[in-house]
Amino acid sequence: MSIRDLIREAARALEANRGRSTLTILGIVIGISAVIAMTSLIGGVQQSLVSSLGLNAARLVNIGYGGGELRQKDLDKLASMVPGLEAIEGSTSGGTQMKVDGKNVYVGLTGGSKRYFEMTGAIDLIQGRLFTPAEEDAGARVAVLSRSGLKVLFGSPDVEAVGKSLELNGKSYQIIGVTEDGMYGGGSDDYVNVFMPAQTVTDDFNGGHEHLGPVFGLVREGVDVDEAAGTIRNALASIKGVPEDQVDDTIWTYTMKSQIDNFNQYMGSFQLIAGSVAGISLLVGGIGIMNMMLTNVTERIREIGVRRALGATRGDITRQFLAESAALTVAGGVIGIVLGYLASWGLCVAAGQLGLIGSLTGGTETSLAPSISLVTVVVAVGISVGIGLVFGYYPARRASRLDPVECLRYQ
Amino acid sequence: MAAPIIDIRHVHRIFETEAGLAHVLHDISLTVAAGEFLAITGPSGSGKSTLMNILGCLDTPTSGTYLLEGLNVAELDDDELAEVRAERIGFVFQSFNLLPRMSVLDNVELPLVYTDCPRREREQRAVAALAAAGLPADHYDHRTNELSGGQMQRVAIARALVNDPAIILADEPTGNLDTATGRMVLETFHRLNAAGKTIVLITHDPSVAAAADRVVEIRDGRLHHPAEAATSAPAVAPVSTPAPAPAKGVSA
Repeated sequence: MSIRDLIREAARALEANRGRSTLTILGIVIGISAVIAMTSLIGGVQQSLVSSLGLNAARLVNIGYGGGELRQKDLDKLASMVPGLEAIEGSTSGGTQMKVDGKNVYVGLTGGSKRYFEMTGAIDLIQGRLFTPAEEDAGARVAVLSRSGLKVLFGSPDVEAVGKSLELNGKSYQIIGVTEDGMYGGGSDDYVNVFMPAQTVTDDFNGGHEHLGPVFGLVREGVDVDEAAGTIRNALASIKGVPEDQVDDTIWTYTMKSQIDNFNQYMGSFQLIAGSVAGISLLVGGIGIMNMMLTNVTERIREIGVRRALGATRGDITRQFLAESAALTVAGGVIGIVLGYLASWGLCVAAGQLGLIGSLTGGTETSLAPSISLVTVVVAVGISVGIGLVFGYYPARRASRLDPVECLRYQ
Repeated sequence: MAAPIIDIRHVHRIFETEAGLAHVLHDISLTVAAGEFLAITGPSGSGKSTLMNILGCLDTPTSGTYLLEGLNVAELDDDELAEVRAERIGFVFQSFNLLPRMSVLDNVELPLVYTDCPRREREQRAVAALAAAGLPADHYDHRTNELSGGQMQRVAIARALVNDPAIILADEPTGNLDTATGRMVLETFHRLNAAGKTIVLITHDPSVAAAADRVVEIRDGRLHHPAEAATSAPAVAPVSTPAPAPAKGVSA
């Protein structure tokens, strides 16, 4: 029997038993759709993670120091000691309150240089500009607001805010730019993010007390990030005089790689559970296939005898029934793939609505798209075919081993 | 003189059953010439089904030789036998044995699926076979369970013809049909035989057997020449072509 004939016979057989076939492949459908939904969701979250970290993410090293304050001069020395660093920038933070229409609004201040905000991808300007070097050095009273901050302060996120002023603690700050809600989040009804030069935040909100953190280093292209991170740790230890046995407790560096490793670990147990559910489902589905094919064979004993009399070899009979079970499971697999992607789209939308995405990715994407990869689809189809062949083999072999004479006599 | 299409010599068939060994066929020897119309009659339990299975290469003899068109079939393995069935034998069964979910045309084409016949040729040959079997063309797309008994048997005959076999083996082909339809089927066989087809018909009904040119009787696993049936002692000699039909056939 040629492949075309096999496919035709298989399709015909499936069609004849539509109801029973549908029920039988339920296990396969559930198993495959679970696997697809899980892999596409995780893939989507991973992609979202990468994009939310910004373009430079691969080369950024987050530097943490627990032994006191980091100052700009520390960073300058670090830059000179680690030639692999293209740039090193720190930010500072502060907070205050203001009243808007009689309501209390908390203002979260982030102070940094233009280079800091660009390097870390924290700011995505939609209006105006960032600070000039002169403004940064002088601690000028200029500010950049976020889009949702505009909504809180001026009533609408689309207001032309550049040139307006912002009153904080009795001082007036000129708004020079507006950013898309990004890495720092948009805030909420009673919380706004404001971005200023680091010096401004230090002078006006931290009483002149300079403390930098978080600090990011941008590693030069081509330099190994983990290696550079090690050099940074040692250099900072020597700048701050941290004894060797305390370095690990006091200084830490955090690269995107480690962030992704953490994420994968976090996802790992989730994957394991979902994978087990899928695996059991597929196993049950496979057993269901075997059961149905055995029934099929029994119902068609006469037909098997006739085919053998007409010239079918044992191999022809085996292949015929194998083709049927493979067609069944492939159909189940395809349905499972479609349903799996639909489910993951649905889950992404739901997660977006519930605002869960930030906590999943550690960033501030507000929407998530599942990742659809050809490789996954091909593997899923391959698994489906495999299940059909493995669980269909025993019934097919039984069919081929039947004695044609007995089959023809069967009532 | 042409070689016989079927040349069986000293064939025995012994089955192993739970009750012991069953010696179903004893020392069967038979020849069938090309273009003959032979009937094999016998009561149930006589071994005629077993003989038919051996003739049709569905079963192999325990001992003895079977030359089909000169090919020693008794020595073939399972796959080779299947090939012989596909290419050289056409079966017609008592209960038609058509596949119910398929159309008439698909049923008739089925033997060709198991041969090397290219797909384009199949429909052609099926239509030709159906015409030879006498089924009108407007039935070709029908499902087989929409047909009458007589029509179904015609489809079965067409199916048996489609691979241009050496022999047509018909096992009680009129058993499930009424007398009139049965007669039509036998007429079809006559027509095919007149056109040169070799036909072996197995039946328990002597009036059906009479339609053939030559009748051979099997009783208790042994073949009998009809002329010798008058005596009560069973003949043990090999059966050869009897006097009534000298024009065809050659003795073993």
